[in-house]
Amino acid sequence: MSKLNRWFLALALLIAFLPELAQAQSGLPDAGALASQNLRGYTHMFIAYFIAWGLILGWVVSIARRLGRVEKALRE
Amino acid sequence: MSGKIRWSGAVLGILGLALVLVVHWQVFYWVSTERTMGVVQRIFYIHVPAAWVAFMAFGIVAVCSAVYLWLEDERLDMAALAAAEGGMLFTSIVLLTGPLWGRVAWGTWWTWEPRLTLTLLLFFIYLGYFLVRSSTENSERGKRFAAVVGIVGALEIPLIHVSVQFFRSLHPEPVVMTPEGPSLPGDMLTTLFTGLAAFTLLFLAFFLFRYGLERMKRALAHRQLAGDGVPLPEGVSS
Amino acid sequence: MEYLRQMGALIWKDVVIELRTRERIAAMGGFTVLVGVLFNYAIDPTVVEPQAIASALIWMTIVFGGMLGLGRTFHLEEEEGAFQGILLSPIPRDALYLGKVVANFILLTAVTILVFGVFTLFFGIQLGGHPLALVGVVLLGILGFVAIGTLFSAMSARTSMGESLLPILVFPLLIPVVIYGVTATSRLFQGLPVSEVDGNIRMLGAFAVVALAVGAGLFRFVVEE
Repeated sequence: MSKLNRWFLALALLIAFLPELAQAQSGLPDAGALASQNLRGYTHMFIAYFIAWGLILGWVVSIARRLGRVEKALRE
Repeated sequence: MSGKIRWSGAVLGILGLALVLVVHWQVFYWVSTERTMGVVQRIFYIHVPAAWVAFMAFGIVAVCSAVYLWLEDERLDMAALAAAEGGMLFTSIVLLTGPLWGRVAWGTWWTWEPRLTLTLLLFFIYLGYFLVRSSTENSERGKRFAAVVGIVGALEIPLIHVSVQFFRSLHPEPVVMTPEGPSLPGDMLTTLFTGLAAFTLLFLAFFLFRYGLERMKRALAHRQLAGDGVPLPEGVSS
Repeated sequence: MEYLRQMGALIWKDVVIELRTRERIAAMGGFTVLVGVLFNYAIDPTVVEPQAIASALIWMTIVFGGMLGLGRTFHLEEEEGAFQGILLSPIPRDALYLGKVVANFILLTAVTILVFGVFTLFFGIQLGGHPLALVGVVLLGILGFVAIGTLFSAMSARTSMGESLLPILVFPLLIPVVIYGVTATSRLFQGLPVSEVDGNIRMLGAFAVVALAVGAGLFRFVVEE
């Protein structure tokens, strides 16, 4: 995979996170309507989403790094 | 990596990422909140797709392993390995997100619920799959051992499933694949299907990249062993 | 007929070797008695009745003791290329596998009898009123266990991790044996009628059949080069 492709992949994943980032900055949505609900639910949900995408991102990075190393070795 | 694999991987990945954006919009802005479990139920939209992908990956491993033992085509072994690595990742996601949901919804981190238990066992079958590969000096032998583990695991999975079901069931009842049709409200169902499609496409994209990586790795190993100018075995090329 | 004769020869060879060396049976027998002693001190009888958890203790002892012996199924053959000699003989690979399974089954049955003796002696466990059903449950359970264990011990014996790999490969697949075996055994210990364990016996039988068929079919990919 070329360097450009790798950057593209990383950028696209970053964009995938944006809704969550925006959410995190704007505080909890519809705080009035949901105020009665258990707020711990939000923490658990966000942790779950971050774990899931963190693991996937980790795998992508590991594939990209291994690809880079093998490609370099093959060129030599 | 050959251009074909790279391009199909990239296309699938871009489609998958687009759907990931859609599913995040649906999950965080659009879908209605489940009444009894509250907001934490939204874990559902990654938990279930991850489980689906994990089991699909295991299906790929089993089929590729069986045909590999039959035809002894190197490419099938590489495909099985690539799928197993993805399967291991997605079982991990299921096993980590499940307890987070269960803690809020049921008040407990872990229950011996059949499908959760089955996923845990699937994780250990994948672990064994990688351990037999890494612990054999003769790589041909390791490939055959891993294929046997994949096949036996796949054949035993239904029996394990029946037995853990017999043991106990606490999990939310099936809400999509029921005889009367889906019992999930429409918007939740739409979100779930977007999630399923997004995860499937992403998995297939990563699977292709991992497969291409394995091919290059083996080509490299072959070149280092045999020296330059020696023709590569069928199915292995840079 | 020829098939059975070849299998018989293999079983006879293993049984005679075991009777002469007594390596595995001594290790497994010693293990079971000592586990019985350890369990005695691990269980506080003022908190939990041994009878209430007897079936779990018995099955766990069989499984762990069995792993000890199964892990060494192919140990002798791996030395000095003895297995190459067996592979060169015109015996079908599945006969080779089934012969090993039967030899292991005989060995594990002996150990199981010892386990039941030790636990009834040490803990005064009541075995219930259906000896035949109990024998059926236990024999089918260990047959399935041995069928899986023999296949994977041939595999683990030829990896660098050796026997330490065996539990990781075998335990996840052993869940049906443990679930159906333990529930059936504890129901029989409580004196429930045989109709209560009917389904369990059938599932144990199904597991054993699947495990034997899979093992016989795949064994040659494990042992051949």
